Amino acid sequence: MDYLVVALVAGLAAVERKGFLQAMLARPIALAPITGLALGDLPGGLLLGAPLELLWLGAVNMGASLPPNEALGTVAVAGGAVLAGKALGTGVTPAIAALAVALVGVLATVGRSTDRAIEEWNVRLAARAETLLDQGFPGAAVRANLYGLVPPFAVSALLAPAAAGLAAWVIPGVLHGMPLASVPLAYGWAALTGVAAAAGAQAFRSLHGVGLFTGAAAFTLAVGWLVGGIR
Amino acid sequence: MQNLGFAYAIDPALRRIYADPGARSAALRRHLATFNCHPYTAAAIVGGAIHHEERVAAGEEPPGAPLEYKQILQGPLAAVGDGFFWAGLRPFFGALAAVGTLAVGWPALVAALLAYNVLHLWLRWTLFRAGYRAGDEVVLRLASLSLPAWAGRLRNGGVALAGVGLGILALLATGRLGLAAGAVTLAAAAAGMVALRGRARLLPTAYVAMAIGTVAGILATRSPGGH
Repeated sequence: MDYLVVALVAGLAAVERKGFLQAMLARPIALAPITGLALGDLPGGLLLGAPLELLWLGAVNMGASLPPNEALGTVAVAGGAVLAGKALGTGVTPAIAALAVALVGVLATVGRSTDRAIEEWNVRLAARAETLLDQGFPGAAVRANLYGLVPPFAVSALLAPAAAGLAAWVIPGVLHGMPLASVPLAYGWAALTGVAAAAGAQAFRSLHGVGLFTGAAAFTLAVGWLVGGIR
Repeated sequence: MQNLGFAYAIDPALRRIYADPGARSAALRRHLATFNCHPYTAAAIVGGAIHHEERVAAGEEPPGAPLEYKQILQGPLAAVGDGFFWAGLRPFFGALAAVGTLAVGWPALVAALLAYNVLHLWLRWTLFRAGYRAGDEVVLRLASLSLPAWAGRLRNGGVALAGVGLGILALLATGRLGLAAGAVTLAAAAAGMVALRGRARLLPTAYVAMAIGTVAGILATRSPGGH
């Protein structure tokens, strides 16, 4: 049942991401918590959402360029991490999050290739719509648009649960076999979050980027330490 | 290829404008021609295309006018949409939602998403209405919104938010594992910034950082007073 939920969330996210609405619901910041909530672990989804959003903040479809499929990567990582956390009885920990990104984060890059294939499919669909129009079926020609939503749904609904299943199978084995690895892996997660913040800043391509980024981070650290730390 | 989506979007209007099925089919064929624009600013073109189709139906314009309108505006509006929405507004709200989630939790996430959607849907509606009412004059309405200037401000604000996010992430790591973990977060951010500005690829950079961070964690746990 959990894998069906992951498939449904991934499929709907794929449609929302490019085909319908585009209201940020397929962005990692929303999608990781949605995946966590759907699988019964909202805090786990929230732990992953912010770093993944910053990491993939620059993943936008500008002009003819195709970015990594951040939605597919997010559902795979969040789904795998939550299911691994359930199997271990710990919920999503930083160590689980680090392993999930390491194992299935690359699915975002795979998703770029599947997106390209889907675009080619849509070109054929447009030609089919013109044929339908020639044959006197304008209604069917217009509805061809809806068939264009099926491939992204299907591809994501197949790939995301498969990747999440891989993560949910491997991660408990790793952490059971090497219980002392949890703390070092949590450091690995801390490093990943640092790179994610840098990637987020870099995504804006601001002329004053480094100064603003460094200044804001220093100010936040100073306030955090003065106030007594943010949990 | 957004021609199918465009035809789908404009079809209800074409049904109202053209009672004759042959005329509707001819109009629909016009809108199956190649079209590529930003999905939000395309709203102005849908509105403007309806404006021109009404004039074609009334005999005030030749049938090619709607297509010409689309071909002239799709490129500039795509550039405006990419620059403002994709490079400014949406990543700004993404960073804002991330910082809010880290500092406050899910209520801040919901508030940020609501704010983004109220704003972006209002802009989409405004662009559609401007295109429908003004036709070719939509360019002037768009210019009055000063979107490129706003995009610059949003980009600077977004970078600052990413910096705030880094600060919070370092504080969280410190709270969870100690000062060494906070230092690892900051060092990874600095190294990541240098690597990414040098055009390193994102995921390999992240994986290398994670591996080095894990090694640092092993060293930290073995040091006196470690975990």
